[in-house]
Amino acid sequence: MKPPAFTYCDPDSVDEAVALKNEYGIDSLVLAGGQSLLPMLNIRLARPEALIDINRISDLQKIERWSDVLEIGAGVRQYQLEDHPLVQELVPLLPQAVKFIGHIENRHRGTVGGSIAHADSAAELPCTAVALDATLVVRGPSGSRTIAARDFFQGWMTTALEPEEVLVAVRYPVMPWTAGHGFVEVARREGDFALAGAAAVVNLGEDGRIASLAVSAASISDTPVRATAVEQALAGELPTKENIARAAKEIVPSVTSGDDMHATRAYRQHLATVVVQRAITAAVARAHERSNAQ
Amino acid sequence: MATEHANTEEKSGYKYLGADRKRVEDPRLLVGRGGYIADLKLPGMLHAAILRSPVPHARIRSVDATEALKLPGVVAVVTGEDCKAKMNPCMNFGPASIAQYPLAVDKVRYVGEAVAAVVAESRYIAEDAVELLEVDFEDLPPVTDPMAAMEPGSALLHEEHGSNIGYERTFEFGDVNAAFSQADFVVEDTLHWGRSAGMPMETSGAVAHPGLNGVLEIYCNSLNFSYFSFLIASALKLPSNKLTMKPVPAGGSFGSKFTAHKVPTLTGFLALQVGRPVSYIEDRIDHLMNSDHHASDRYYDARMGFRDDGTIVGLDIDVVDDYGAYMQFGVGTHGNAFSQIVGPYRFRDVKYHVRAVLTNKCQQGAYRGFGSEVHNWVLERLVDKAARRLGLAPEEIRRRNFIQPDQFPYKIPGGNVYDSGNYPAVLDKALSMIDLDKWRDEQKRLREEEGRYIGIGLATTQERSVFSATEFWALMDNPAFPLTSSPESATVTIDPTGEFQLLLHCQSMWGNSPETVGATVLAEEFGIAPESVNIRYADSAHALPGTGPGGSRYTVMLAGAVRGAARKLQKKLIDIAAHTLEVAAEDLELVDARVQVKGAPERSLTLAELAGTAYFFALNLPEGMTSGLEESYTYDHPYTTLPSPDRSDLGVFYPIMGHACHIAVLEVDPDTGILSFLDYVAVHDAGTIVNPKSLGGHVTGGAAQGLGSTLYEELAYDEDGQFKSSTFMDYLIPTANEVPAFRMAHVETPSPFTEYGIKGGGEGGRMVTPSVVSAAIDDALRDFGMRVRELPVKPSEIVATVQAGRAAAGSA
Repeated sequence: MKPPAFTYCDPDSVDEAVALKNEYGIDSLVLAGGQSLLPMLNIRLARPEALIDINRISDLQKIERWSDVLEIGAGVRQYQLEDHPLVQELVPLLPQAVKFIGHIENRHRGTVGGSIAHADSAAELPCTAVALDATLVVRGPSGSRTIAARDFFQGWMTTALEPEEVLVAVRYPVMPWTAGHGFVEVARREGDFALAGAAAVVNLGEDGRIASLAVSAASISDTPVRATAVEQALAGELPTKENIARAAKEIVPSVTSGDDMHATRAYRQHLATVVVQRAITAAVARAHERSNAQ
Repeated sequence: MATEHANTEEKSGYKYLGADRKRVEDPRLLVGRGGYIADLKLPGMLHAAILRSPVPHARIRSVDATEALKLPGVVAVVTGEDCKAKMNPCMNFGPASIAQYPLAVDKVRYVGEAVAAVVAESRYIAEDAVELLEVDFEDLPPVTDPMAAMEPGSALLHEEHGSNIGYERTFEFGDVNAAFSQADFVVEDTLHWGRSAGMPMETSGAVAHPGLNGVLEIYCNSLNFSYFSFLIASALKLPSNKLTMKPVPAGGSFGSKFTAHKVPTLTGFLALQVGRPVSYIEDRIDHLMNSDHHASDRYYDARMGFRDDGTIVGLDIDVVDDYGAYMQFGVGTHGNAFSQIVGPYRFRDVKYHVRAVLTNKCQQGAYRGFGSEVHNWVLERLVDKAARRLGLAPEEIRRRNFIQPDQFPYKIPGGNVYDSGNYPAVLDKALSMIDLDKWRDEQKRLREEEGRYIGIGLATTQERSVFSATEFWALMDNPAFPLTSSPESATVTIDPTGEFQLLLHCQSMWGNSPETVGATVLAEEFGIAPESVNIRYADSAHALPGTGPGGSRYTVMLAGAVRGAARKLQKKLIDIAAHTLEVAAEDLELVDARVQVKGAPERSLTLAELAGTAYFFALNLPEGMTSGLEESYTYDHPYTTLPSPDRSDLGVFYPIMGHACHIAVLEVDPDTGILSFLDYVAVHDAGTIVNPKSLGGHVTGGAAQGLGSTLYEELAYDEDGQFKSSTFMDYLIPTANEVPAFRMAHVETPSPFTEYGIKGGGEGGRMVTPSVVSAAIDDALRDFGMRVRELPVKPSEIVATVQAGRAAAGSA
């Protein structure tokens, strides 16, 4: 369990990192927290010619508000989201979801950008980015561009990032104060990869009906899944237990993962409905709390 | 996770035995100075990496090392052809027709089997070179289903053996048909216990060094080397006095390093080939797929007969054990089942048909319980099934069947003897620690009012300890080497200033507490501070007879050896004091590190004064006494007998019998299949307790591992023979988050056969959790018809049962 030889680069700036990406292209990989990459190197599933270590780039480690957007640098450690005041106030779904990432040791090293660029469909940050309609800021040799999270995740550990581009930040729209959110995940052990997970953000109208709903699910397919059929089934409806349970079943056709060591396909289909139902239920309860507090 | 001790029985007149004591091993381990095998660096040392078979069953046509040998830093490539030409097969307690080498010879027989080794200047280079090896495999049909493997047309693992059945035999003790004809009913079950393994943080490893005078030195963390080093020498074609095995502390074993011989044998062979020191440390993938330690993988058809009052009349077992590709330990894991075949129950008629089947999977080795835990799970599954049928509480059906305290020593069907026990007392203690009536009311209320499902499980286990060597061969008709010795030795030295040295004669440091045990016994015998004793380990060139830990024997055997040596030293000290003080020896006593005159303690000599005399004042010694204060003692197994020639009686081979009762309360989420514990009580009887703290550690760790085998851990192969559990993403070990806080207590029923009445207690935790957790899951989901028949129980299976139960209720 030793990695094959590679060239190690540790740029000081994003421009330098982009230049290195441009030089090595597809034969290079970005090293951030290393929580997924280092095991992959050690069991030789990844064999880059060059490893571009971005840990020294301080520009990637900022959390800032720009009017109705919270921008989180790609190099921000995951644990920082757990109790950061801005994150708690503006995008409270994130602190809740981040606690499900591995164990605290993993979150101390793992980064926000690392998890999103790695694009494991079981991961919490890709799933929440899709539910929150986040925008990903990437930089390449010809400058920066943005990609909607829903377009970013293209397949199993495959993204819209070009080989010479570096992910530099994630922009999260600020959640309305009255929005409710829920994140539910089931794993065999605490900290394991999700068997299934779901994020939900809901806004209720004054009539108590669902004004808007965003739901996404993790670990049911090659990519995080935006559950539009579930959302549509509840649009304008009262969030009753029965309505939520009925709508949650709409996730089933999106479950494409087959049997594996930990779950059969049938179990995952069932579990997807359970976590979606529970996430929406939690989000609705939270929205009620917020409305009552107002 | 916290472990709570409660109500340890007040005990006898011992001053040190039985008191909670921090382990003397801990300080150096906790600061990272354990000195493990991967810490050992010798000048000029090379590193080995292994090419593992990617296919389950194939003939090896050729191994081409041309490109690998061109890589700078590569020193040698060694293959099975080299082993075949220069070695004998590895040690083997199974049939001689199933030979094994540390690198596959002619054929590979499982995914992960070692095909070739690269020796290089670094592990990095060695792994680079492994990728450059080209092996030409001629694929053979994979044999993965043990039932299909027994069919006549199946491909054969070992052509020389002529069959994929490595061992088959029916044992019958009493008359099961006659017993069942007296039964009011017979319960039966089809059960599967899946493969899991002890998984220490430290893998197996060795450093071999071709030393002076043609002596090969092998440092390794595997066990039993002083017992079996001659067998490693034989595999390497070395005279046994030209091999020295050097003990290195093991960072945990749980059985996985018990006689783990392939790693030191291979490393020794590699060092001999290159003439330089070589280190080979398994990485986690090596360890998961090519170790010596995958454990039982058994399919049962089991029947148990009962009378309507709940008493058991007999047991009929038909077991197929999926052994994998080799049979290094024979069928010793079934011998373990025979050691406690009736559990704590009184019935006399037992039939046991066993088939050990060869398949394209990793061989089996040792794991905490060594097969007896599997048998206990089967027993307890059947007893619970009968209790449900009779409407009896689990504690009540067990109480009605217990062997009674006045029946010991108790000879069980098959010949083993239980030395002592008080099973009702253990059950009563457990019941006193938890309010089952309250929990049963709560269970009903939660089910009816909140739709929540909690389950209560109760199970018992026997905990056989202190194996005798006869168990290695007692199931064989014509054993090649029917040995009967399994001794342990200790050397105690009191130096000229009165300080103590204790020399242990085996590799006994594997996560247990040999040093604490030895020091505590010396403290008890001499009144010295246990922490003051210095402890060392002899290498195989210096070691007296020793068998090493395994089968929960070491605490009992070491206590016997140390006490034996202590008695010899005590006599010498008293004789010196008698001569010096000019009083009769019988008027002296050794109290608190002084020899004093009985009734006149002011007339005394300290150990330091007596030691000074022993070493430096020969003219002051009694006539005929020689200088110095060092004694050794070899303690043989306290109670073992030969099996009968026809094996209708297997003899006494595991007589020091502990017992335990666990009660678990857990909640099952019926929509996700995930469990959480609400309470857990564990009561053990390991005879006289040496150290409640370390015994509690054994119970906790064992129970955690039992939980792993029950719910999480699975060494799985698919139907094509591919291995599915080669990383910790797939092989899930419970962590502190999954393990409940055990509320623990002990009952102490001393053994009549051991020094101080100590019994072994290293494995009982793992021997009972599978039964108690299975019972609790069944109880929680009984509305849905849940019955655990296969381990591990996965969430997907729980949910499928709930869904099927709901569908059936809906259509009814």
